Amino acid sequence: MDCHCLDVAQDCIKVLQKKFPESKRVGRLEAMLLEAKGSWAEAEKAYLSLLEDNPLDQVILKRRVALTKAQGNISGAIQRLIEYLEVFMADHEAWRELAEIYVSLQMYKQAAFCYEELILSQPMIPLYHLAYADADIVLDCFEFLEEKLESGMQGVLYTLGGLENLQTAKKYYASTVDLTGGKNNRALFGVCLCTFAVAQLTKGRNKEDKESPELQSLSAAALEKDYKLRAPSKLSLLGSTLRSLKLSS
Amino acid sequence: MGGESRYEIGQNAYIKLVLHALKHKTSAVNGVLLGRLSGSDASPVVEVTDSIPLFHSQIGVLAPLEIALIMIEEYYGAQGLSIVGYFHANERFDDAELGNIAKNIGDHIYKNLPQAALLLLDNKKLEALSKQKEMAPVMQLFTKDASKSWKLVGSDGSSRLLLKEPSANIVLMDYISSGKWMDIIDFDDHLDDISKDWLNSELFK
Repeated sequence: MDCHCLDVAQDCIKVLQKKFPESKRVGRLEAMLLEAKGSWAEAEKAYLSLLEDNPLDQVILKRRVALTKAQGNISGAIQRLIEYLEVFMADHEAWRELAEIYVSLQMYKQAAFCYEELILSQPMIPLYHLAYADADIVLDCFEFLEEKLESGMQGVLYTLGGLENLQTAKKYYASTVDLTGGKNNRALFGVCLCTFAVAQLTKGRNKEDKESPELQSLSAAALEKDYKLRAPSKLSLLGSTLRSLKLSS
Repeated sequence: MGGESRYEIGQNAYIKLVLHALKHKTSAVNGVLLGRLSGSDASPVVEVTDSIPLFHSQIGVLAPLEIALIMIEEYYGAQGLSIVGYFHANERFDDAELGNIAKNIGDHIYKNLPQAALLLLDNKKLEALSKQKEMAPVMQLFTKDASKSWKLVGSDGSSRLLLKEPSANIVLMDYISSGKWMDIIDFDDHLDDISKDWLNSELFK
């Protein structure tokens, strides 16, 4: 079905049906085939009848979410996913899917909430820290961008008031660096970006708000070391990128 | 003010974008268009000479995009080229809508170049390529008009988006059947493994 060879899938299912006539798993495959063919209503009916016998079947519940999403009904998919997570709140795959849907809709606050849940339950997984930091940094930028554009100011991505979110993002990029032993380049870049953004926001403010530049220099150094070793042709590009992220010293 | 701009996309730039979308069939992908403004005031041409495939996951987050744009502008600036547009391919086959993320990035590019182009992959046209010959690119063009909103160009039958090399679609179909899309590297891949070259300099050799 993944290759869209629907005839082959149909034949396979027929064989399975003969061997396992009462099987729920075959029933599920049948419903998935309907889904693959685009027969949305019939697939939905099939899933619902399978759910009658077993209303807590996680796989089928999730297939219903996929079905809703495939039809383009994103808000419906979100609703189904939220209902699912109210029952199965330990399902990390579902939290991730929900977070990604929110990101694609630019609903960063909601995405951040999902990543918070993931970090709480699995604090040692660097991916969640990274994704949370990424969502946080955007949260600041787009919210204030919208406000400022309305009041006529031209969009400067890093603007006043987002300090808290940027500092939070920086913390989580840093924890990703920690968890991955300094090997995650996305987090290293994240630290540099945040430091730059925070510095832009705190220009002219009290010294107390300023943070030590060590984290940024260390991250920059780590990046340079890695590029020198594994991507030397891009080293000078990296250099100028990092320079543009430092306040002129 | 001058005439309406035409948009000419070079073969390599075009093929890279479509192959990128084919490599990541189940997610949205995006990329930037590099090139220059040429032609005359009366008939300006935006030449898209190259493209960089950017991301295939978490397209809405800013940090990796910021880094990518800084590096890209630095690299191409040295060659006298700049970012002239943005490419997006939606996650679903039947989704032909230009989403907000694409518009936001487009707005950013528009600030420096009012003729900025937003290209959206046309999945139906791409599918049709395998059945019949076609000279036009399998993308929809959006530009920002005086009303400051992104409008689809060409719905009135005029085609302002052209392939520079008329045989580009034939070359594209060739690459598709040989599975060339496996070799495409985007910025996401680079961030995960910096030894991967987002310039794809070896791709067409």
